[in-house]
Amino acid sequence: MKKVLAIIYLIIAFFIIYFLQANFFSWFTIAGIQPNLFIIFILFIGLFTGKNIGAIFGLILGLYLDLLLGRTIGISGILLAMIGMIGEYLDRNFSKESRFTIMLMVAGCTAIYEIGGYIFNIIRLGLPIEIFSFAKILIVEMIYNVLIIVIIYPLIRKLGYALENVFKSKNILTRYF
Amino acid sequence: MYKSKKTGIIGIIITIIILILLVVATNTEVSKMSYIENLVNNIVMPIQNGLTYLKNKIAGNNSFFESIETLQAENDELKKKNSELEQTLREFEVVKAENETLKEYVDLKDKYQNYVTVPAYIINRDITNYSNTVIINVGSADGIKKNMTVIADEGLVGHVISVTEHTAKVQTIIDPATAVTSTISTTKDTIVVQGTLEDNTILRATYIPTDASVLQGDNVETSGIGGIYPRGIHIGTIRDVVNTNNITDRYAIVETAVDFRKLDTVLVILKDNAQ
Repeated sequence: MKKVLAIIYLIIAFFIIYFLQANFFSWFTIAGIQPNLFIIFILFIGLFTGKNIGAIFGLILGLYLDLLLGRTIGISGILLAMIGMIGEYLDRNFSKESRFTIMLMVAGCTAIYEIGGYIFNIIRLGLPIEIFSFAKILIVEMIYNVLIIVIIYPLIRKLGYALENVFKSKNILTRYF
Repeated sequence: MYKSKKTGIIGIIITIIILILLVVATNTEVSKMSYIENLVNNIVMPIQNGLTYLKNKIAGNNSFFESIETLQAENDELKKKNSELEQTLREFEVVKAENETLKEYVDLKDKYQNYVTVPAYIINRDITNYSNTVIINVGSADGIKKNMTVIADEGLVGHVISVTEHTAKVQTIIDPATAVTSTISTTKDTIVVQGTLEDNTILRATYIPTDASVLQGDNVETSGIGGIYPRGIHIGTIRDVVNTNNITDRYAIVETAVDFRKLDTVLVILKDNAQ
């Protein structure tokens, strides 16, 4: 029951994030470049709930975004699902206690997501290769995402551990007893 | 390492301030920063003026080079006159180009009368930095179909890529995945304009014929080749021609007629009566 409730909260959170991204962050930009809150959101789910929920959420939300605004269907889904899975891997190998590691994780995941998407679009849509322009946008986007993490880290920690208790309670018991 | 809660909050506040400053600084136009420019000027210029005066005074004391100085002064005077004349010529060119653009606009107004259009509002913009699609509030219920052309008062916006009952997804011409076959209105040479990641206000014109003379200020319009866009819709004006070592690689920067940052209302062409 608690799990179902948590998933409903996550879906509501997705829509709040979507409206934030589509309205507030479409004008609150650094040199016209928006952050990508969905990467932060899916990484957060992957880190605190594990790869299964992370990947499923990533896939469904990515497909939803593709259907809503994308030029091609599927790539955001696959990449966000990957980030959901990477979340569990990062959880096993790094500490979530440090703000700095979370900042690095977000920067890395932003790079993976955007580079993956760009390469796919070059192949699929025949986009012209503009490495310098792409790198400039990517770096600003990574910095923007990291700044957001610095600001919301206390919230991520608090909500994250509450989520972890719901989804990984058994793991914690075996770890400590 | 122990960190107090207070330090954490201060860190967050500092980050928020930095973020706001970044957003404000990077989105403010240079022209609006004239007060800062004034301030910077006021600090340096009085000293610079003094130094220049001193330098002129010392240089002026040398009587041996008087004739050279006279020649120099004459030369300076002539150079100044020359630059003034060049400036006037440039101004004339600008006025000429403006005149041509205005004439084009008058023609354009008449051209648009041939189209049966449906007005629409943009209700959602793209949420990523690498593509440029918008959602408009008309769909199949209003007669919208895939590949229909979308225009604004100023010129071409893009084409419909998918339709639902009450909304349609439009891929704009500034999207890097869009390539539009177009013609230069004066010479009628065919070029291809494509969106770039670099800037949301420009397009890159490639495949310029080697014998074509492309000039700054030339208008670019759709050619009608390709089957999506009707012929003669204004796209923008050529801002710059970039010449490369190989003439076949040269390209031009086209400034879009439509300001996509401020675009709210568009027209979807349902039917072209001229055809």
